[in-house]
Amino acid sequence: MNEFINVTQQLFKGFGENCFIFAITLLLALPLGLIVSMGSMSKFKPLKWLTKAFVWVIRGTPLMLQLFVVFYIPPLVSNGGFNFPRMQAALIAFVINYAAYFSEIYRGGIESIPKGQYEAGQVLGMKKSQIFFKVVLMQVVKRITAPIGNEIITLVKDTSLASVIAIPEILMNAKDFSMEGLIWPLFYSAVFFLAFCGILTLLFSFIEKKLDYYKG
Amino acid sequence: MKKLTAFILSALLAVTALTGCGGQSSSSEASKDNSSSQSATGDWSYIADKGDLVIGITYFEPMNYKDENGELTGFETEFAQSVCEKLGVKATFQKIDWDSKEVELNAKTIDCIWNGLTITDERQENMGISTPYMENKQVMVTKAENADKFTTAEAVKGATVVAEKKSAGEDVAKGDEFFKEANYVSVDSQAKALLEVKSGTADIAIIDYVMSIGTIAEGTDYADLKVVEGKDFAKEQYGIAVRKGDTETLQKINDAIQAVADDGKLDEIAKKYNLQDLLLVKAK
Repeated sequence: MNEFINVTQQLFKGFGENCFIFAITLLLALPLGLIVSMGSMSKFKPLKWLTKAFVWVIRGTPLMLQLFVVFYIPPLVSNGGFNFPRMQAALIAFVINYAAYFSEIYRGGIESIPKGQYEAGQVLGMKKSQIFFKVVLMQVVKRITAPIGNEIITLVKDTSLASVIAIPEILMNAKDFSMEGLIWPLFYSAVFFLAFCGILTLLFSFIEKKLDYYKG
Repeated sequence: MKKLTAFILSALLAVTALTGCGGQSSSSEASKDNSSSQSATGDWSYIADKGDLVIGITYFEPMNYKDENGELTGFETEFAQSVCEKLGVKATFQKIDWDSKEVELNAKTIDCIWNGLTITDERQENMGISTPYMENKQVMVTKAENADKFTTAEAVKGATVVAEKKSAGEDVAKGDEFFKEANYVSVDSQAKALLEVKSGTADIAIIDYVMSIGTIAEGTDYADLKVVEGKDFAKEQYGIAVRKGDTETLQKINDAIQAVADDGKLDEIAKKYNLQDLLLVKAK
């Protein structure tokens, strides 16, 4: 019983790191993704291609590799002169990676709004920005709730990847127990992820219900 | 509309937070740049200036592990602390991913690797390795009821053997005549190798003797596993790794190891973890 409490404590401590990465990544990547999606829909061609190339690189390489690049490349290039703290490096990689994925979801959502909506706005004499924020955006939010929810749930589990740059997250702690001869903590750690994703799933179905009155 | 304002405000907040972070890190870059230009004179002065030796470790009993109170302890932990005391620097332990140990060392995110590192020709070429301080060997671990069975090459024929990839155990499994007729599977850690045997997906795991002391003891989940008596492979030695070409730090560490041994302190620590028979550095 004592052992169970000790393991639970250690895993909770590790899961705190996962939750921290999760929260900061969402907080920064959701707005950053919107900015990136604006870039990829821009009429200014160089910006558009630059953004597209950025999204291609980020989505085209493993997140694990991106973590290595952010953490190890600066000190290797500067001969140990500069490196991000481990957690900061992880956050940078996660935020950039998720912003790229979010941006494509936003783009899909925004482009799915029928032209008529914009035309109606114009007829009413609204400015371009007014049309986007007052007419289009909330319809987009409703349409993208499900795919964003998908990404967010993936993010919960992806946070475990931070262990490759030695952030003591839950799976790393659980693996340490197996080095001490305890196997079950590794499988027990699944409970933490399941519980967290369960809460998120409920939250998203609640949000979807709440958004039901915006009839797209 | 309120929701929208909140959304935009939070976006703005996030952007300022991001640039805020950027500003911070660039200032720390400037301060660290100074120290790196000093380090051109030698790695030891870089370490001495910082005042701490960052030691890359992973957790495994009995070398480095957390005790009941969550404090880091173990043979290597206490040994490293004693050596650092002699060196006049603070021992800072940094947990690393073992697969990235060479990158960590070269990136200066750690200053040495001190965690039961087996001395190999390859490693001696790529890193500076201290005097060998401890002996280790590879042993076969199997289910207790099979421990008497797998003592001959005949019995091992057709059995599934697991070892950590790139480990000394793998060299044994692939190269030793004894395992010629066995099926070899590589896994990503020694703990995983034990898990394979425990769950019955493999018959024999080849792991470090030192690791087997702590991991398959009474009271652990692996208590039903046993080391096959009288079958040792690939005797090897443990050393401490520093950056390649850094002879000054290496010399200082070697001298400090000898000094700790002369004090009788090294023996004392080894006895505490039941490793005294494996020690290679003796008091002069």
